[in-house]
Amino acid sequence: MSFSTFVTDKAGLQKLYEAIISKYETYAPVEKFGKYDYKKVSSLKECDPDSPIAMTMSVKPLFFPRSSKIMKYEANSAGTSIRETDQDPLAGQRVILGVKHCDARGLQVLEAVNKWDYIDSDFLKRRANTVILSNRCDKADTHCFCTSLDYDVENLDAPDVAIVNGTNGKIYVQARTEKGETFLKENSSEPMANRITNDELQMTNCEEDLTKQYEAFLSSFRLKMDYKDVNERMAKRFDSPAFEEASRNCVSCNTCAFICPTCHCFKISDEKIKDTGVRYKSYDSCNNVYFTLEAGGHNPRPAKYRRWRQRSMHKFVYYKERFGVNLCVGCGHCAISCPVNISIFEVVNHVASAPIES
Amino acid sequence: MDYSKQIQDIAAKLFTDGKIDVFVGYRMNGFDDNQVPAVITDPKEVSTLVFTEKSVFNLSNYLKADHTRNKRVGLVVKGCDSRSLNLLLTESQVKRDKLYIIGIACEGVVDDKGQKVQNCMECIIPDAVVYDEILGTPKGKKDYIVNADIKALAEKGLVERREYFEEIFENCIRCNACRNSCPLCYCTKCCIDQETATIYNGSNTSSSAFHALMTWSLHLAGRCVDCRNCEKACPSHLPLHLLHKQNEKVIFGNFQNHLAGVEEGDRGAFYKYSLKDPDDFIM
Repeated sequence: MSFSTFVTDKAGLQKLYEAIISKYETYAPVEKFGKYDYKKVSSLKECDPDSPIAMTMSVKPLFFPRSSKIMKYEANSAGTSIRETDQDPLAGQRVILGVKHCDARGLQVLEAVNKWDYIDSDFLKRRANTVILSNRCDKADTHCFCTSLDYDVENLDAPDVAIVNGTNGKIYVQARTEKGETFLKENSSEPMANRITNDELQMTNCEEDLTKQYEAFLSSFRLKMDYKDVNERMAKRFDSPAFEEASRNCVSCNTCAFICPTCHCFKISDEKIKDTGVRYKSYDSCNNVYFTLEAGGHNPRPAKYRRWRQRSMHKFVYYKERFGVNLCVGCGHCAISCPVNISIFEVVNHVASAPIES
Repeated sequence: MDYSKQIQDIAAKLFTDGKIDVFVGYRMNGFDDNQVPAVITDPKEVSTLVFTEKSVFNLSNYLKADHTRNKRVGLVVKGCDSRSLNLLLTESQVKRDKLYIIGIACEGVVDDKGQKVQNCMECIIPDAVVYDEILGTPKGKKDYIVNADIKALAEKGLVERREYFEEIFENCIRCNACRNSCPLCYCTKCCIDQETATIYNGSNTSSSAFHALMTWSLHLAGRCVDCRNCEKACPSHLPLHLLHKQNEKVIFGNFQNHLAGVEEGDRGAFYKYSLKDPDDFIM
């Protein structure tokens, strides 16, 4: 099924955004302390859908919150009873503006694990009720390597609507999923009055323009790798001392996992006052010393390099084996936020290029 | 301020003489003009060491890592870093005879954009206070000045101040990167990680962030040396120095002009109790 493309300009796009914000529950990047995080907005002035990728947090917390209540309970000498939690504040119909392509792909990747084994209905419901509008970047940042990974950035179907900058101030608004198609049909006609019909699209050289933008984008990458090669080589190097070398700098601060668009490990903690309690599900990080600490005191991953091995192998080997996709989307957030500039890109490449010990 | 050559020579000599097992310094990150810490065990890698005004991270943090524990370590420290190292020595976390310290008479470091960072502009102890060898010309201590942000904050009303701090706590994602990147947070089990303690619960509500950050900053009261590793690590770019600088101001005024880690063997503000201390403050 082919989806429609609309041509508009900056003013048209602004009008579309405004129309969406007035009509739907809308989330967009809001700046605070120089960093953008996705928050509920009531006007376009509050937010910046074109926020720079390096300064923007992942959209993941809107689907998998940093902390969420999973149940309430009462426990006393008479026994234990479980009560439903409050209504999920993220489950309603909503629209998210200004999501980066890599970030949207992160949600697609996470869907695999949330549909497997235990089905996380909360995540899937949030995802189903959300329309994602995503801007394709014009230029790669220092740590970006999305185009080197196992997904087609050009025609990515993770966002419902993709927005691409063309030449001469033209902006292409493309539906990428059926949800996006319906959404655009319902909302775009009025705000984007200068919409051009499909026949006229030929005249505006849409395809050519889009390809040109993508090629320019592609040529701006500093980092490139062959992910298939890395997957294969990593799988053979579990015992490689290269993990130790690559992780030596790490200060185990956990930032990388907390801001990663695909990391999904969590811990369970109880907040109990007298007989009633709430059980929370909050982020955890495999770089944390306590991550695998067992109740008896034994820790199967006591050393930093073993935790790093888990982190990089999970992203490039285990998840790939199980679900067929890499658990890394090449957004570079980990390297940007890392106080000592360790990039998952460098680590996996270092390990993949290390000799195998006999 | 470029001591790359000197540091390379010293490190090479230390390895040849068999005086150290590990050297902790800085190297270029390999793609732009910024630097990352380098933990070197192979003498061949000595040539990668650099030191310029881009050498920002406080390396004494690495003394609590697996690679340096119970080993003989060569280490580069700037003024603020040496103060935190001094505290680690006083608090018996590292042994002086296992360290070879290259002190720097620091002229201030710059951020990614090349601008001098705020804590360096306000730095009062730029020279390393503990070292085996010092590079550069020592400039001596300056008089204590109250941080400009703290002054601005003090002028605000109580409600305004509270709102400002609430914003900080709301944007905290409880990753604990501030705590983990702090050279002085070496406890193997930190109280803000306790999952049974309701107030620090893993849930990242602003109340849990409030309790965690306040406890953390109070444990660093009179110990924080303003190296700002925490701010460098914070993914939400929170102005965490405000908590520490406020504590520093209170401690300086109430504990006989105490400044963390300046003198060797100084056991900290709380050991300086005297009956003459003013007690007209509540933190």
